[in-house]
Amino acid sequence: MKSLRTSLATLSLAALLGGGAMAAEPIKIGVVTPLSGTYAGIGQQVRWGLELATREVNAAGGIDGRQIELIFEDEEANPAVAVQKAEKLFQVSKVDFLTGTVNSGSTLAVGQLAERSGKLIATTVSFADSITGDKCSPNVFRVNAKAGQQSAALAAWLSKEKPQAKVFYLGPDYEMGRSTVAAFKSNVDRVGGQSLGEVFAPLDSKDYTQYFGQLRASRPQVLYTSVAGNDTVRLFTQLDEFGLLNNLTLLGASGTVTAQNITAIGKAAEGFVTGVGYSAEIDTPANKKFLAAFRAANKADPDLYGADSYGLIFAYKAAVERAKSTDADKVREALRGLKWSTPQGEKTIRAGDHQAEQIMYVVRVSDGKFKIVGQVDGPAAIGPDACTRF
Amino acid sequence: MLEYAQFVLAPQIVTGLALGVAVILVALGLTIIFGLLDVINMSHGEFYALGAFIALALGQVGLPFWLLLVAVPVLILPIGYAVERGLIQRVFHSEDRHVTTLLLTFGFGLVLEDALRLTFGPNPFKPETPIRGTIEILGTYLPLYRLFMIVVGGLIIAGTALVVYRTRLGAMVRAAAFDRNMAASLGVPVERVYAGAFAFGVALAGLAGVLLAPIYSVFPTMGRDFILMAFTVIIVGGMGSIGGAVIAGLFLTQVQAIASLYISPVWTDPIVFAIMVLMLMVRPQGLRGRLGHA
Repeated sequence: MKSLRTSLATLSLAALLGGGAMAAEPIKIGVVTPLSGTYAGIGQQVRWGLELATREVNAAGGIDGRQIELIFEDEEANPAVAVQKAEKLFQVSKVDFLTGTVNSGSTLAVGQLAERSGKLIATTVSFADSITGDKCSPNVFRVNAKAGQQSAALAAWLSKEKPQAKVFYLGPDYEMGRSTVAAFKSNVDRVGGQSLGEVFAPLDSKDYTQYFGQLRASRPQVLYTSVAGNDTVRLFTQLDEFGLLNNLTLLGASGTVTAQNITAIGKAAEGFVTGVGYSAEIDTPANKKFLAAFRAANKADPDLYGADSYGLIFAYKAAVERAKSTDADKVREALRGLKWSTPQGEKTIRAGDHQAEQIMYVVRVSDGKFKIVGQVDGPAAIGPDACTRF
Repeated sequence: MLEYAQFVLAPQIVTGLALGVAVILVALGLTIIFGLLDVINMSHGEFYALGAFIALALGQVGLPFWLLLVAVPVLILPIGYAVERGLIQRVFHSEDRHVTTLLLTFGFGLVLEDALRLTFGPNPFKPETPIRGTIEILGTYLPLYRLFMIVVGGLIIAGTALVVYRTRLGAMVRAAAFDRNMAASLGVPVERVYAGAFAFGVALAGLAGVLLAPIYSVFPTMGRDFILMAFTVIIVGGMGSIGGAVIAGLFLTQVQAIASLYISPVWTDPIVFAIMVLMLMVRPQGLRGRLGHA
């Protein structure tokens, strides 16, 4: 035991000396993201986006001459596992910065750990408004669009296309469902729409037909829903089966219709509209260049998660070069108010709550593909700063 | 008031009826297997999923839906027969039969579910609905396919009851359920009757899978959807009773349908399970007696 400890000490001493002797130590970025399980598809996009950006930055000389090194850990979309893996990255791997968390619970939990450890993290995926709202942290940044920005974009489109629309809400009965419906409802009220009623169905409902009576009786023009995955398949196809899709516009959260379920939903998804922060359809030179590089590297199209993760590396690079250090306090100051360019356009990190402000896009399904039908400027979508901690 | 009845209450009752038929179809095979073999088939839901996936695969190579309604149960029959003879029969005679068969079928269900996931992937599929359009009855809209399902489901249930209670084959089955040894000594091939009844039960589950796939979509874990409700139905209806399953199935789905109008739908499951608990306390044998006993 003693000899083991001695040799370990020798080893770490040697490592320290060795590290000090190296010319330019790499900047280590920890990535705690789901690489297995239900959210593995999202984790895959996060990984692809980060790796592509890292290769590009490293090839162009790195950050102030230092190469970026990514260290991945599987969070299994489980906050408890995420905290454990993040702790390991902070303490053992001594990462300078951390990202990748998908589940909003993981982001909040890892954020608390970052605060205790004096490190900075950023999420490129989590939607929950609270992350940069009432549960904001001086050590947590978000470079993707939160639920509120998605809702705001959608509501702005709604007020233009269908002024004074009569809206009915159907959400899954848990935190995400209730908060997305509440967010969109307040946006509808703001733009002068009329809310007719809301129902919350259990997650994994077999049959949504039991709500169709209320739906039909209230005669809505618009149905907003935030169900996801297979629940969307059932809801949409059952609406179609009951002939309810005629003269009804379907709106939803950006996770409602995805590449995973759009084929199964088929024709019933036609005309579905949602608000997102990124679409492969964005017609700018920056996005075309990103698209080509992403496709060449991964043989797949980027989605919002891939694009936002790609963009993060450039934000961190800009901040470190501005701060001339990887020290958490200095980088935090540099990130606050930072403007940088990403495939989807220029983003700004709002100093007051660490939420990225960005153009929001409204996309609609036509012929089984998402097409951009509108956009909302960053300041209009981001909403008031609700963070009171800093 | 009239508008409420027409737009809210009536559709609720009618779609509740369609759901009731779906639940009974899944419960039917379960109750026959329990009534006859005294085996709680935990893999029943996975046979329901298997039926849906076979229908999906055959549908993709171009077989028409109407043919699938016959072909899928016929394909599942030998699978069910082999599972009974090869697996269940081996642990059937042990002292604690209920535990061993329950664990065996539970494990088999897990294997089947994973096999479906490996073959078809985790994402959902949605077969085309064979009959499109809705029909208006007294101002209440009902999709034609649901109407079709209620009618065909009703016919299947009636046909099954007819076979069990009115044919020579059914008499053999009921005799084997009532007294295994006496039936065997009178020349009933008990082992084959058991395997045949299991195969018939899971083929019914597969048929339910074909019929319900266009409504509920197809994915590897779909077997878990109906299984709790199906168990509740056969417990309330009386384990092994076909009539009891029909009454309980229709009653419990109506309770859910009506209750969800007044309380959060999340709470309709606890109500149904509370009815089950009450039933177990007051009348543990259920509404109707066991197969072969009533």
